[in-house]
Amino acid sequence: MAAEPRDFPTNRGGMCQKGWTSADLLRTPDRLARPLRRTSEGFEEVSWDEALDDVAARVLALRAEHGPDAAAVFGGGGLTNEKAYQLGKFARLALRTRLVDYNGRFCMSAAAAAANRSLGIDRGLPFPLTDLQDADAVLLLGSNLADTMPPAVQHLAAVRERGGLAVVDPRRSATARLADDRAGIHLSLRPGTDLALLQGLLHVVLGEGLADVAYLRDRVEGVEEVRRSVAQWWPERVASVTGVPAGDLRRVAHLLADASPHRGGRGAFVLTGRGAEQHVDGSQTVGAAIALALALGLPGSRRGGYGAITGQGNGQGGREHGQKADQLPGYRSIEDDEARAHVAEVWGVTPDDIPRSGVPAVQLLSSLGVDGGPRALFVHGSNLVVSAPRASAVRERLQALDLLVVCDVVPSETALLADYVLPVTQWAEEDGTMTSLEGRVLRRRRAVTPPPGVRDELWVWAELARRLDAPGTWSTDASEVFDELARASAGGRADYSGLSHARLDTGEALYWPCPSADHPGTPRLFTDGFPTADGRARMVPATVTGPDDDVRPDAPVHLVTGRLLQHYQSGAQTRRVTQLRDAAPQAHVEMHPSLAARIGLDGAEPVRVTSARGSMVATARVSPDVPPEVVFVPFHFAGADLVNALTNDATDPVSGMPEFKVCAVTVERVDVAESMLHPSQEAVS
Amino acid sequence: MRIVVVGGGMVGHRFAQEAVRLDPGADVVVVGEEPYEPYNRVLLSEVVAGRSDLSAVVLPEAPGVGRRRGVRAVGVDLAARHLELDDGARVTWDHLVLATGARARVLPLPGLEAGDGRLVIGAHVLRTIDDARGVVAGAVNATRACVVGAGAIGVEVACGLRGRGLEVTVLASRDGVLDRDLDPRVSAVATRSLADLGVHVVPRAGVRAVEVSHGHVDAVVLEDGSHVPTDLLVLATGSVPRTELAVDAGLAVGKGVVVDEDLRTSHPDVSAIGDCAETPDGVSGLVAPGWAQAAALAERLLRDRPVAPVPVQGAALRLKAVGLDVVTAGVRASTSGPDDRVVSIDDGGARRFVELVVRGGTLVGTTCVGAPELAGRLSMLLDRPGIMPPDPLQLLVGVPDEQVGSPTAMPPSTTVCRCNGVTKAAVLGAWDAGCCTLEDVVETTRATTGCGGCRSLVCGLVEWLQQVDPPSSHEASQERERGVAAR
Repeated sequence: MAAEPRDFPTNRGGMCQKGWTSADLLRTPDRLARPLRRTSEGFEEVSWDEALDDVAARVLALRAEHGPDAAAVFGGGGLTNEKAYQLGKFARLALRTRLVDYNGRFCMSAAAAAANRSLGIDRGLPFPLTDLQDADAVLLLGSNLADTMPPAVQHLAAVRERGGLAVVDPRRSATARLADDRAGIHLSLRPGTDLALLQGLLHVVLGEGLADVAYLRDRVEGVEEVRRSVAQWWPERVASVTGVPAGDLRRVAHLLADASPHRGGRGAFVLTGRGAEQHVDGSQTVGAAIALALALGLPGSRRGGYGAITGQGNGQGGREHGQKADQLPGYRSIEDDEARAHVAEVWGVTPDDIPRSGVPAVQLLSSLGVDGGPRALFVHGSNLVVSAPRASAVRERLQALDLLVVCDVVPSETALLADYVLPVTQWAEEDGTMTSLEGRVLRRRRAVTPPPGVRDELWVWAELARRLDAPGTWSTDASEVFDELARASAGGRADYSGLSHARLDTGEALYWPCPSADHPGTPRLFTDGFPTADGRARMVPATVTGPDDDVRPDAPVHLVTGRLLQHYQSGAQTRRVTQLRDAAPQAHVEMHPSLAARIGLDGAEPVRVTSARGSMVATARVSPDVPPEVVFVPFHFAGADLVNALTNDATDPVSGMPEFKVCAVTVERVDVAESMLHPSQEAVS
Repeated sequence: MRIVVVGGGMVGHRFAQEAVRLDPGADVVVVGEEPYEPYNRVLLSEVVAGRSDLSAVVLPEAPGVGRRRGVRAVGVDLAARHLELDDGARVTWDHLVLATGARARVLPLPGLEAGDGRLVIGAHVLRTIDDARGVVAGAVNATRACVVGAGAIGVEVACGLRGRGLEVTVLASRDGVLDRDLDPRVSAVATRSLADLGVHVVPRAGVRAVEVSHGHVDAVVLEDGSHVPTDLLVLATGSVPRTELAVDAGLAVGKGVVVDEDLRTSHPDVSAIGDCAETPDGVSGLVAPGWAQAAALAERLLRDRPVAPVPVQGAALRLKAVGLDVVTAGVRASTSGPDDRVVSIDDGGARRFVELVVRGGTLVGTTCVGAPELAGRLSMLLDRPGIMPPDPLQLLVGVPDEQVGSPTAMPPSTTVCRCNGVTKAAVLGAWDAGCCTLEDVVETTRATTGCGGCRSLVCGLVEWLQQVDPPSSHEASQERERGVAAR
């Protein structure tokens, strides 16, 4: 069993280490293969029946005592569409809880909220990725795709040839380096100031007459409000906030404008990643990025647009079909009575059987095990004690639960805290679909037989639903579940009703919405209008506030986090692949030589990084690629080098996105820290 | 409590915005003499330069703020708490905020005034949107422009008009441009940069008179009797705080309306902010301290929070001049103390100057001319304790980039394919194991199969290997390895 690349439009035959080694994960030695139950000594193996009987009984007992919201669900953006759909249904109909949310809240929620508000729909890229190949300019904000999805870099080749790649990142990341040698420009900004930077770009575009006036008149609302709001953000002021020279800002604004169709360019794209989105003003930042694209007349023009670079394996599909707190399948609102009636009919229940909105992830996690909060949690496809902000507080909350059930492939750090660990199938062992970052629905086909004892989550939910006496049908066949999902999504914004496994198996390139069996799908959105009430897009004026936890004398350094090429997510999977682990076995603290000199570092020594929430230790990596006042730490690691122990759980009020990407820290040599500790310890003894 | 703000400029407007942000029910009325919506005065030089449309300088209106536009406040009755307007109306207040700003200073030069307070045709100041319109219109039919004054506005206007293709002369009162904001040797660098742009700077140019021909400006006569012929004259000779209202009301007035650190005037229920206010630290004249004062005063009046003193001296100057990059903030060499470390690089030949001032391990001042990247970087460190390196020079010296050598010279541990973590040593290993083409190497090592960005590098390696170690000689690979080691 091995992984080989296919020549597919998105990867063009390329694979990075994560792809090449993906088959190793099927053979990982500590693969979970039996249900486990926590005992006072650790875990014991139990039968599936025993586990499911007890879990169901305990849920029913908690419900009887505390009501249905005593149980909560935390899902994942790596689940197939079928599982994401069924998980939302399981929460609402079997657990009867409104409390369901998922790790996509940490990933795509800011972009999703902004796109819904401004464009009327949230599809990461509303155009095929390959459209980038024809463009003259691409603005990448807070994305390090050269590390996160290296094959996608191929689509930037033409833009780089034309000198049109602009990368916004505090770090000179692998992606920022793609702009070297006249391929474009790297704007190194102060962490957490992406919104101010975008206000400045909008200022230049609107102020210097670079905007597509006809497009704004015909297709966009809110231009005047935004024009006024960005009048306060002239480039020199933006420079004082972001550190990006005013001249560079003007240059990028002109680069994008000249690439735009209304000025005869071959196309321009504005793309955001988590670096720009994971902030307390994340949805405003994306709103400004969309406003910039609108000002240039890009969305729907066929030669440009705005897009969010989706992270997780099924980060797109995972956010469409109901594992989000306020959402029903087909990207419908759970508060919309028409949507409730439609979905209730598909589910064979009455609308009143469907609970109303729950709460977003950070709020959900912080309520676990507290008075009036949930007493039981089901976790699927998420390792949240590593991936959630302020991770040590999350660990405490999980430990305060009466019942924690974790479905996983490997004994992740979160699984190790569970009362029940249920072993489930992984990628090549299961059937289903995923929706790519460009909204194309892809088949996942079972290629190997899972180890005995491992079950598909569809089966787990069906078994639990039966034990919980849930209404509705609970198919364990992915194709049947997909058909139900398609019916439930019919008429919704993410309409899959014209799709089926059989149709996808023909190899047809199908992008949602695809509302009927003879519909060809929609590779490009907005060509005829925006799916808003009046068919027009919306520019939303922004208020720049800056980071929630900004630097101060006793925490003078900015911490930013991100990914390494060798890993994804919490690393629960990639840290188990020998080749990837050997290449990047632990976290490091990337810092500028001048900061290293300040703290008296002599080479690659361990350093301690401390925020108001927690502390971590990892080896310093001295590099001029980070600004002198910033350190970077990758977030895939779970030991003393767990960086999410430090990150801020303050959230964006619009989207619930936590501010992973910037907080204030101190950095010190570990031996210094230790020698400062010892005297007081001696004094106490 | 009704708060009445006199002055609808940037600072008065910002105060009103902040007040209703803190308390949406706040009763705030702004009285302004200009008939326009609030606009960004800072951008007027950009309008002159043609880099900003007039429509793009309009600021957002705060909802819920009462406005009286196009009327002038003519009197304050402190006892009755009335504001008298020139249309005869009276507005009562519980707290009065003076944000009357400043007016452009007009030198008393023969020929300049055309009667009833107006300037002769062809002569302009740049303070209001009407002024900007006038300068832009005047520039259309002008070939020569003369700017009196070499401060920030003078230099911005000069560069803007130069960018419009005019011949531009700047009359500086001292040796160089921006001499209030820059130390002499820095000013000299900026002045040379300006000359490079084709702007003629006349140092120590005292102006004696304005010559008028057919009712239009024709030339400026200097103290030495020389003539500077011009079609367009812009006076950028500073500003004067507008204090008439305060004087008439009997408030304490010096250079400006005197306020304490709480921004209170000599009357406890009257405050002053912005360019009209004289704080213990002086009169501002820049928008950033004015905005900070507006926010602080709103906090005091609406939230009863104490005002943190807003420094006026050392406020950052970021020049918005087409082609000339000047940033200065905080302490500079001439204002530094005996224990400060002042590190400067005077690279006048390249029209570049960089200076930083460190006090007790913290960067407290930075000045950059012609070094925008460094200016951006250093301004992020300003006034932030805890991040300066022991040797401040380290911040100014670029760290050499990692060497990307030729395929032959790079060390074996160099990663050639990042996506798949393939080192040069791995490629050599594949070659020794029998690979003899690019395809073989790719197949074995997976180099180039990710993003493809290393293709030319790997091709180069393979070509080199084919030369020095052709497949037929694989048995002799030991020799090649020795050869590599010897390089």
